[in-house]
Amino acid sequence: MKKEKVELTAEQKARKKEKTRAAIYTHRGFYVMFLPVFIFALIFCYAPMVGVLLAFTDYNGIKAITPEIFVGLENFQKMFSMSGFWTAFWNTLELSVVKLVLTTGFAVIISVLLNEIVSIRFKKVVQTIIYLPHFMSWVVVASLFSLILAPTSNGLVNTFLVQIGVIDSSNMIYFLGSNKWWKPVYYMINLWKETGWQTVIFMATLSGLNTDMYEAAGIDGANRFQKMIYITFPSLTNTILTVIILNLARIMNLFESVFVLQNDAVLSTSNVLETYIYYQSFNSGSIPNYGYTAAVGLFKSIVGAVLVLSCNQLSKKVRDGRGIV
Amino acid sequence: MAKEKVDKRYVNKVHIHAFDVILVIFFIILSLILIIPMWKVLVDSFDLHTSYGMQLLPSQFGIEGYKQIFTNQTLYRPLLISFFTTITGTLLALTLSTLGGYVLIQYEMPGRNFCANYLLFTMIFNGGMIPTYLVLRAIGLTNTLLVVILFPALNVYNLVLMRNFFEGIPASLFEAAKLDGCTPMGTFIRIVLPLSKAALASIGLMYAVSYWNDYTHYKLYITNSNLYNFQMKLRGMVQGSDLPTVSGNLTENTIKNAAIVVAILPFMILYPFLQDYFVQGVNVGAVKE
Repeated sequence: MKKEKVELTAEQKARKKEKTRAAIYTHRGFYVMFLPVFIFALIFCYAPMVGVLLAFTDYNGIKAITPEIFVGLENFQKMFSMSGFWTAFWNTLELSVVKLVLTTGFAVIISVLLNEIVSIRFKKVVQTIIYLPHFMSWVVVASLFSLILAPTSNGLVNTFLVQIGVIDSSNMIYFLGSNKWWKPVYYMINLWKETGWQTVIFMATLSGLNTDMYEAAGIDGANRFQKMIYITFPSLTNTILTVIILNLARIMNLFESVFVLQNDAVLSTSNVLETYIYYQSFNSGSIPNYGYTAAVGLFKSIVGAVLVLSCNQLSKKVRDGRGIV
Repeated sequence: MAKEKVDKRYVNKVHIHAFDVILVIFFIILSLILIIPMWKVLVDSFDLHTSYGMQLLPSQFGIEGYKQIFTNQTLYRPLLISFFTTITGTLLALTLSTLGGYVLIQYEMPGRNFCANYLLFTMIFNGGMIPTYLVLRAIGLTNTLLVVILFPALNVYNLVLMRNFFEGIPASLFEAAKLDGCTPMGTFIRIVLPLSKAALASIGLMYAVSYWNDYTHYKLYITNSNLYNFQMKLRGMVQGSDLPTVSGNLTENTIKNAAIVVAILPFMILYPFLQDYFVQGVNVGAVKE
């Protein structure tokens, strides 16, 4: 009896194998089409993943990669005892989270108000203008604001502050070079650049809204503000959660926007993990300790992965089973 | 003109409230806040006067700043490199995301799930800056233009957007093509791509913008200044380390401002015509229900 059953599964297995082989054959064209994608991911994503093993070595770019250079967890011990690392870690969290909350909050308010504009032409013009800064590179944005915020008579903001009498011309504020001002200015610039574009996704949700609801509310005697608060805003909650989850998943990747706006004077307030790794590897002056910076990178990637996976779980709960990865 | 299009929701109450006026004023102020920094750069790029301050119109108009940039040989190369990498990179990136997206909708293909997970895992975990740098250096890509074209070309997020779009193509079309003896590649070129023009335009434009704006990959992987794109050059100029020699009554700031304008110009010219594609691109994936 038992033997027979095994024989049957073997036969089934063979048949299944035959079937799979046939399916592979009919799909052979698709495998060829996937090959370039496969190779790109292999070289640019998977090979560096193997490279994280360097985090357990004291490799400096010159030493040969032999078993002698393995130092165990030494790099991680060093990392956790470095104050620069902790500053960068907390800065990464603070800058990304505050930025996310501010831009999302303002984008929601602007979307709700934009939705109230009666003239479609005016709405279109406003949308065109507020989307624009999103498409500028961070280099352009940093260049633009470093000129406008310059602490000289060339700088628009400082001259304005002098004119209205807030500061006098000998005490101009070097916004991007002052530890007190750097973070608020960083948030302002991010608001300027990204808030408008964030409204796209909210406007899309609002344009799909059923107009019956507004009519029904109108018949019930609701005024415009009540409609905004009780219909428009609640209809956005799901989209707001989606936006927050999607962005939360990648907060560890903060690099370019900080890198182009920071300078030596404000490193302690502005350094994030990626810029910390960059300076420690390429700008430290001495022989780079790739082992140590790879360890910081590995830590960053692990925290990032945990964030992505938890956001994915969260997303499945909030968005009826739809994950983000 | 007299009969302006009006949002359907308000058709039965056209009379204008005070709130509408406040709204219009609010959005005019908001737009001004967004425009003034850009306007200021544009104005100052035409202003030959040394101290701009709060000027919102050039005090001494002149196009010498632009003359400096367009007669400066050292800026030709970065501009050409920007155009070249943007075009080749966009085409390559589009090829990869459409091919990948198309394979991911072949649900009967053995190994389809492996392919999907193989790609999705790269969105969860990455090797980090230094291992990536060392791999690229080991295979000889650093300090070549190949690195800034090839490395950003595989964007799994956009690949998934393409897949979502392809899933909207009716299955009957694929079956009909198969019955007519179309190979997978033939179906892809003759059916999938022509039906996806809107998505191709949207995602292609996203790629083009990110290649044109690329700074990080140049900064990390290229040290040879002959291979810099315009963004790198602009950064050097604004930081003052790489300014062309100033001649005559021209000030450094005028050249900096003109360089910023040149960096945004190609996009600014195209943007009003392409805006709808960009907006669609976001909506293809994100709000797909």
